[in-house]
Amino acid sequence: MIGLFLYLLVGVGLLVILWVLARRKGAPVEGCGKQFVEARQALRTLQLGLLPKNLIQRIFAREDFRYVMATSPGEIGELFLQERKRISLMWVRRVRCEIRNLMQFHLDYSRLHAKLSLLTEIRLALDFTLLLLACRALRILLYVRGPYGARTMVGVMTAAAGRVCASSEKSLAFLNPPVLESFRRNSAGDGAAI
Amino acid sequence: MLSLLLWPAGMTLEFLLLVRSVRTKTLTKYLYFYAYIFCVFGVSAGLYIGRSLSPAFYDAWYWPTQFATLAIGFAVVLEIVRQALAAYPGAERVARLTSCAVFAMMFCYVEWHVASRTEWSTVAATVELERDLRVIEALVLATVLAIVFYYRIGLGKNVTGMIVGFGAYVGVSLTTLALRSFLGPRFNAGWGDLQTTSYFFALIVWTATLWTYSPNPKPPTTERGDSGYDALVHGTRAQLESVRSNLRGVAGS
Repeated sequence: MIGLFLYLLVGVGLLVILWVLARRKGAPVEGCGKQFVEARQALRTLQLGLLPKNLIQRIFAREDFRYVMATSPGEIGELFLQERKRISLMWVRRVRCEIRNLMQFHLDYSRLHAKLSLLTEIRLALDFTLLLLACRALRILLYVRGPYGARTMVGVMTAAAGRVCASSEKSLAFLNPPVLESFRRNSAGDGAAI
Repeated sequence: MLSLLLWPAGMTLEFLLLVRSVRTKTLTKYLYFYAYIFCVFGVSAGLYIGRSLSPAFYDAWYWPTQFATLAIGFAVVLEIVRQALAAYPGAERVARLTSCAVFAMMFCYVEWHVASRTEWSTVAATVELERDLRVIEALVLATVLAIVFYYRIGLGKNVTGMIVGFGAYVGVSLTTLALRSFLGPRFNAGWGDLQTTSYFFALIVWTATLWTYSPNPKPPTTERGDSGYDALVHGTRAQLESVRSNLRGVAGS
């Protein structure tokens, strides 16, 4: 009976995968330039948009809540808390989204490398999966404990943001063709030309 | 009855596929696939003619030819792997290694299963062998599809059609064979009709999707040196570690 169940599972599972394949819209086949820009954009969003010290301090600052509670009626404080919770949840969702973009960037390039290591890919896939799950868990934590469940976050975030910046630059460096690099150096300060 | 109706219709579609492959010059591009269609067409036509001459001919040749076409069916899996991942050496390497692992595991399981049998019946054994071979095909196909999804590999209409048609046939065959082993001979009529219908469905899908040549979209061309992959892995690991420590900080505080 267990054997029958397993065989049926494989058969029906294959049919379900085929159904997904048939419904799949054409997978994007981006050019190098587009992928390069998207990877850089994902890193910049993480680095400048989501992980800056002052932004995180502001989102998770307990002082703001104390100030509102001290100077306004209780309902205003309640409303403020709800808004901060919404913002913190939105922040985790965006971080998760950018992690997915980085993961996609890695996959888009690794699939082209003939010397790809299966074990390394499995380990990285597990790492990405765990990180994405951690984001989900963090979301639940913020949802349950509220935006002020965090205390020692600011320092760690600031240091990590610097590390993200450095390592990402290193990882993207080999993708920069000399022409693009010189073009970037000659472009406006914010690199908007690329 | 249904099988008898679909049999000549299927042969017509197989013949049409072979003619179109010559007209559209895809015969050499999908050589393994058309070799399979050619073999099945030859076997079907031979059995059809033989059956009309002598029913005993059909009974004697059905199972041997069934196994021959079953074995040649692996050519379609090979063609799918070859075509879907040809432009992606990295993904192709992952597919090759995981498919070999899946094949080796299933082969060992089937060997063990056959060796541990106390009773032996030719009909039951042939049905089970076909079922086990279909499991191997299904698992290899599922592995390739998982890699296609994971690496977001774009497929052309021809290869998508090959996968959907063959996959549906394998999936339905496997399900009905499993039920046949469980329910016994009383399921024979339904089993035959379902298998024939699923193969006919596959032929319709193949005829529709392989009518014209539609190759896979080309991936971007990049510098693919070995040092590039090492740098990519190193960079990805560093990014992961940074983001992980960020989140650890948030969760732990």
